[in-house]
Amino acid sequence: MTESDFATRINGHRAYLLRVAVLQLRDPALAEDVVQDTLIAALQGEAGFSGRSSVKTWLTGILKHKIVDAIRKKSREPAMSTLDEESRIEDFDALFDDTGHWESPSSDWGDPEAQLGRTQFFDIVEFCLEKLPPNTARVFMMREVMELDGSEICKELSITSTNLWVILYRARVALRLCLEEHWFAARSRTA
Amino acid sequence: MGILISCKDASRLISQMQDGQLPFGRRMAVRLHLLFCDACTVFLRQLRFLRATMQRYTRD
Repeated sequence: MTESDFATRINGHRAYLLRVAVLQLRDPALAEDVVQDTLIAALQGEAGFSGRSSVKTWLTGILKHKIVDAIRKKSREPAMSTLDEESRIEDFDALFDDTGHWESPSSDWGDPEAQLGRTQFFDIVEFCLEKLPPNTARVFMMREVMELDGSEICKELSITSTNLWVILYRARVALRLCLEEHWFAARSRTA
Repeated sequence: MGILISCKDASRLISQMQDGQLPFGRRMAVRLHLLFCDACTVFLRQLRFLRATMQRYTRD
């Protein structure tokens, strides 16, 4: 492959990389920088691309490292202070009745594969991620997209494991409600 | 929390199970709860679905 072919292929993923970085960092200018660094690192590291994974997977791997670096720098700034507000568990008490049972159990979503092939489904996923509070989204993405262990996340963000569990619980419950409302319920209405 | 737990407690532990192993007693309590509770079984399946979704999001 010629050098410019490779550059073109890499550039084709730019919009996707930027979406992931913005969802994670909630800072468009910083996200641009991180994506730029990722693309430069990818071009310089072409030799490291084995072709065993797809270009997208390989680029995502580089992006994850760049995002962790950016978060590491950012977590020293006061912007992370809303973490306390976002780690309150009582907010979800309304989901349960006085005896601790689900107030309104949700439907079974069935087999993931049936939805994951649909492009619009990921538009709704992005919409729901955007609706999460910023630090909640950041922690959730560190866990589920960047696949960091809980202990690594606690260390990077200087939070306790209890904070971490509450934030992840909060993110999952909120995403579940959002997907239920904007995807599953909407589909069963039109089906 | 004893061996009999509410859905509220179970749902928190089910989420925590996605991030590492629970202590034995908690794990047993969740397992027992899931045997009798369809709503929490659905919740567990939804969390697995979410994980699969996020993995697919960054891969082809």
